[in-house]
Amino acid sequence: MNVESRLHSLTFSVWAFGAAVCIYAAPNAAYVTVVLLAAILVVEVHGRDAPLARSFPLVVGMAAAFGLLRVVLTVLTTHGIDRAVFTFPFDVTMPRFLGGFTLGGTVEESVLLRALAETYPIVVFIAVFAAWSAVVSHAELLRYVPRAFHELGLSVTIAVAFVPTTLHRIRAVGEAELARTGGVRRRGRWLRTALPVLETGLEQAISLSESMDARGYGHREPSPAERRAGWLAFLGVAALGGGLVALVSQADAPAAALVVFGAVTLVVGAATASRAITRTRYRPRRVLPADWVVMAICALAPAVVTAVALGTDVALVWQPARLGRPPLNLAVVAGLTALVAPALFPPRAVPVLVGTDADRPVTHVGDEPVGEAAWAR
Amino acid sequence: MGTLTYRGFGFQYPDAAHDALSEIDLVLEAGDLALVVGASGSGKSTLLRAANGIVPHSSGGRCTGMVEVSGRSTRSHVPRQLTDVVGFVQQDPEAQFVVDHVERDIVFSLENLGRPEHEMRRRVEEVLDALAIAHLRDRAPNTLSGGERQRVAIAGALASSPSVLVLDEPTSQLDPQGADDVFAALTRLNTELGTTVVVAEHRLDRVAPLADRAIMMADGRITDFGAPGGVLADYPGAPPVVRLGHLFGWNPRPLTVKHARALIAHTELPAAPPVVLPAPGAALVEARGLDVVLGGRPVLRAVDIDIRQGDVVALLGRNGAGKTTLLRVLAGLTDARRGSVTRSGRVAYVPQDPNALLYAPTVRHELRATLRLLGRPGGESAIDAMLAAHGLGEYGDRHPRTLSGGERQRLAVAAVAIGGAEVLALDEPTRGMDGPSRAALERMLRAHTAAGGGAVLATHDVELAARVATRVVVLGAGEVVAAGEAREVLSGSLFAPQMLRVAPPFLTYEEIEEAVAP
Repeated sequence: MNVESRLHSLTFSVWAFGAAVCIYAAPNAAYVTVVLLAAILVVEVHGRDAPLARSFPLVVGMAAAFGLLRVVLTVLTTHGIDRAVFTFPFDVTMPRFLGGFTLGGTVEESVLLRALAETYPIVVFIAVFAAWSAVVSHAELLRYVPRAFHELGLSVTIAVAFVPTTLHRIRAVGEAELARTGGVRRRGRWLRTALPVLETGLEQAISLSESMDARGYGHREPSPAERRAGWLAFLGVAALGGGLVALVSQADAPAAALVVFGAVTLVVGAATASRAITRTRYRPRRVLPADWVVMAICALAPAVVTAVALGTDVALVWQPARLGRPPLNLAVVAGLTALVAPALFPPRAVPVLVGTDADRPVTHVGDEPVGEAAWAR
Repeated sequence: MGTLTYRGFGFQYPDAAHDALSEIDLVLEAGDLALVVGASGSGKSTLLRAANGIVPHSSGGRCTGMVEVSGRSTRSHVPRQLTDVVGFVQQDPEAQFVVDHVERDIVFSLENLGRPEHEMRRRVEEVLDALAIAHLRDRAPNTLSGGERQRVAIAGALASSPSVLVLDEPTSQLDPQGADDVFAALTRLNTELGTTVVVAEHRLDRVAPLADRAIMMADGRITDFGAPGGVLADYPGAPPVVRLGHLFGWNPRPLTVKHARALIAHTELPAAPPVVLPAPGAALVEARGLDVVLGGRPVLRAVDIDIRQGDVVALLGRNGAGKTTLLRVLAGLTDARRGSVTRSGRVAYVPQDPNALLYAPTVRHELRATLRLLGRPGGESAIDAMLAAHGLGEYGDRHPRTLSGGERQRLAVAAVAIGGAEVLALDEPTRGMDGPSRAALERMLRAHTAAGGGAVLATHDVELAARVATRVVVLGAGEVVAAGEAREVLSGSLFAPQMLRVAPPFLTYEEIEEAVAP
């Protein structure tokens, strides 16, 4: 029996966007924890049987490690603000050209707590992105990318898919290194791990590109319209670059003109390319009523957070100087619980379909077609 | 159309000292099923990759002559312009999946070709049915078994209705059942749809009877071309029934067990010599009551196994039966939830993928690295001997990544074996290996056990198990379903080695040859 998600990848994208907005607007540790729990629940219910989904805990672990490093660097380099809770037996002051900061010395309470409070939302933000990657079908999303960006989107999708593969390969190579000697360990392991990981990754990338080439990727020569679109895109990027330079040089009016010109040229280029490309789409999946319901519920979360932020003086940000409980507003918590909405529509088993279209079972729940019938014909 | 023609074709990879292919003249007619055989590094893959222009358009290099597929020259057409006439399936299907959804991956080439949606729908249904994979349409490729994955990869290549299908060792990673499924699908495409199929293989016992023609390659040249029985007659890697035909002078040579049985009924066979089993040595590894759970799924249940001095234990079983996990537990790489493993020596493990092991700049350095890791620098004479024993003597200064798949496999085994671990645990050691390489591996294993070592190997190669194993353990759903002396266990199996099915109680061709020899 196969399992099929009842929700469209666009729905999960709206959910992730809503969660990200909530983290940005309400980086209070308590609220961020609610978002994290919602993300874990959604992955638990909708996690696909794919390498990206299985690497969710690993990516969250790496995000936590990155966060920890950020906290350590902050407390090691920020001094003279508050009382010390710990003092390192060393301190080194860097030369002026390296920033002149002091490494080591005191670890101060408010610095530590604020570093933790600032880092935690970043970690959860990465966790939400990992959760989105774990539940979404990148191939399904790709069908909604403008045609001009399809090949770029496909490249990004493949590049993202290489992340869990590479992590898996690192583990396999590390084990092979140990297995080679029957358990004897030696120094210099990172080099012995890095080389086969990089070389095998390169070989796989070449195999994949050969396979894509053999299966017609980039089959057509670019048409005159596509060439025009390419020049427009080049012009647009050049104008945006010029706008950036003008902005840095404080030439505000030329900067604004160049940015507007660049943006318009890029959009015109993309539209021209999309019209010129004859690429066809195979059975794009419809957005069903259940998707609209989930999207609407998920949109409630950032709406409530924004409304609270605008209408009251409730603190959505928590920057503690002393250890304590973060401020908690029940309306915000209730709003954030809307982010568990995707978990209310778990994937369902679909019958194994064999034979021709005419033989295919079409199943309904109420008036809503499910399974194969939910696909555009 | 479906024709494939090579005329005076030669090819040299960039920076290579020698030609990979020389003076290839070959014509395959529409509807042929051609088998390409030859030693590792003989040029089989290059020949296949030239069929759709990957060689030279993707690989670079210098070529002479021409290759034409269905009337289109690969000189003037790049691979993406040949998608509708030739489909290509690589050795590792995973390397060619672009999309993480079976149905959408199959349609990838049709979308690239800009075919209308109604045509795509019809074609996808057709290939799903032709390969009997309609039930897999909504699955992710990485959740499929090896045989299913390979059939999905073939479906992806077939979607654009090519008249020629080229496959590079498509069953090297499959269990016997998975290999049978793939060959059944290929036969159907060939006989019912008239697709020209060109397939390179080392495991010839299943594919040889299906082929119309065989192409023998050596040193980048075609050395023989014709009916499989004749071409394979003197080939060291030929199926045992072909070699038996050669021994008794049967003409035509049998390619199937059925044919060989009919012929041997009229042949007087000497009595099988009594089997003398070596006395079991001291235990090197003792595992008791192993239970392993991975990802919440039980993988091994109450497994008991011993590896003794002089033992070569073959682990058989379908893909997913728990063979690799058992090897990893014995090597200390995976922990058992329950049970114990007692080791009285080092257990070195060669993984299925040799690429995970190879990092040195040359083949020689690869072996040196193992000795250095073990704190035993030097040992150049041992390195020379080990390279020679694995047929790698002439490759000492080559970069490991420039070797073919079979050669890398041999190098990985050599790089582990030189460490002198008491027990060698080899995972699919003959994957992609040609006949001489398998023979070299068998000699190395016998020398290792004769010196007091032990070995355990997970394999789908039942002929290897028959030739080299002292004991066979069959795993099914993580449990030991049969264990004992190799002849006893294999004789009751549906997948028994060919000689046991043709002339029991002979287990291998070598036993018959020895009995017949004056």
